[in-house]
Amino acid sequence: MGKRVLLVEDEKNVILGVRTCLDAVGYDVEIVEDGGEALDAVRREHPDLILLDLLMPRVDGFEVLKVLKGKEDTSKIPIIVLTAKAEEEDKQRAMDLGADSYMTKPFKPQELWDTLKYYLPEA
Amino acid sequence: MESERLLLFQFISKCFERKAGVKLSNLPETVNLDTIANNLADAVFLVDREMNVVWLNQRAEEFFHTSSKKAQGGKITELTAINKLEDLLGEVFEQETALKCSYEEASVKVKRHDERYFFKIAINPIFHQGNLWGALVQLTDVTRFHEMEKIKTDFVSIVSHEFRTPLTTIIVGVEMLKEGMLGDLTPRGKEVLEAIGADCERLSRLIDNLMELSRIESGTIYVEAEPTDVADLVQEAVRPLKIQAEKQGIELITDLPPELPPVAADFNKAVWVLANLVGNAMRYTDPGGTITVQVRQRGKRHFFSVEDTGSGIPKEHQDKIFRKYVQVSGPGRKGTGGVGLGLAIAKDIVMAHGGEIWVDSEIGKGTTFTFTFPVFQGGESVTLPEAEEKGG
Repeated sequence: MGKRVLLVEDEKNVILGVRTCLDAVGYDVEIVEDGGEALDAVRREHPDLILLDLLMPRVDGFEVLKVLKGKEDTSKIPIIVLTAKAEEEDKQRAMDLGADSYMTKPFKPQELWDTLKYYLPEA
Repeated sequence: MESERLLLFQFISKCFERKAGVKLSNLPETVNLDTIANNLADAVFLVDREMNVVWLNQRAEEFFHTSSKKAQGGKITELTAINKLEDLLGEVFEQETALKCSYEEASVKVKRHDERYFFKIAINPIFHQGNLWGALVQLTDVTRFHEMEKIKTDFVSIVSHEFRTPLTTIIVGVEMLKEGMLGDLTPRGKEVLEAIGADCERLSRLIDNLMELSRIESGTIYVEAEPTDVADLVQEAVRPLKIQAEKQGIELITDLPPELPPVAADFNKAVWVLANLVGNAMRYTDPGGTITVQVRQRGKRHFFSVEDTGSGIPKEHQDKIFRKYVQVSGPGRKGTGGVGLGLAIAKDIVMAHGGEIWVDSEIGKGTTFTFTFPVFQGGESVTLPEAEEKGG
């Protein structure tokens, strides 16, 4: 069985792109479009890794990071931030909240695969 | 008071004579000093050597909510709440030369009734019977100009953000199609996708540059000068470009003496500057050409130079190329794939380190860009010069 990746992203086209990218190398992808849903999904599914957008309506990515990295049972799940926020301060804030990796959009599939492989070595 | 007004009148009439060839004594009697001074859009003050206000025009009274009576004899710094004037006036009095700062250098922020104003300052010394008597201080309201700059900077920042998301979809899609992961392609189809991929790279680079620029313009950039190994810096900047240079048939040489003392630089930003210069050189150098990256220490400075054997930059363009959005076109200058921000940013970064950047070029022979960074002296960090000051 492939590793389970939760993609938290609200842009339809980016979802299509990232999903295609992950399908191609055999990950199981679940998609949620909002931070609140993301928290529910994590509780329910306990994914192996989370790809997290920062700018989302209602509960944003920073909040998701804060909650998940603040709780013992979810703090071990690697979280890779995928965002259009390229400012150093945003990156610092996300890393301080416990993000494992920070990727600025746009990125190439290879970069995403390499990062995923690093955090999910057996896949 | 009258004698001072006379002095001012003489001063202004001299300026008129010099600039416009008009003798004020030839003007109708109804045109006098007040007519001129009070119809100026700028706030004008006459101060003595102690920086006390001797005279001010109507605009100055209006703006600083005062009257001639109240203002006279008081310190100009107190009246205007522009503390910076003290230093600037001191400088003018000491050197006995005029200070006419550019907008970037000497705009000050003044807060009044919760509104912010920006002024450009010009100071002219006034001499009386050969001795320094005082100065004429002129404040030009550049608030509107400042606002426009801010709007532009914000706009650039927003644009660079908004482009990132759609570009993600395009790049991910193109790359996967190109690799044949979504089905077979015709040779022509692959060629087209290669071209799209290359242009996407170009757009990404442009977005990065725009963002860097808006960061610098908004004054939030912070240059942390740390002891940095020169060889590491050069290596980091040149390495990613080696393959590209090989592909283009250009020889990329690095020439640095062993055991250079460390440079005081923000590593990533310094690498960016050097990589940008080498990247430029590659765009303007034909196959068979050479690009040499050289570092030399002279006194307390390291001189970094990037020399190419490209087409050269015409003399008339050499001054302009460090300005924003300026690109030089002409014979032998290939399509450049930028908007002319690279050098403007490079200049900002170099200057933030307290260095200088310049170009030497000869048509048909080549171009050398040189910039200096200070040799590391001790623990210090440098910020961009702040051209603002908060008034009360």
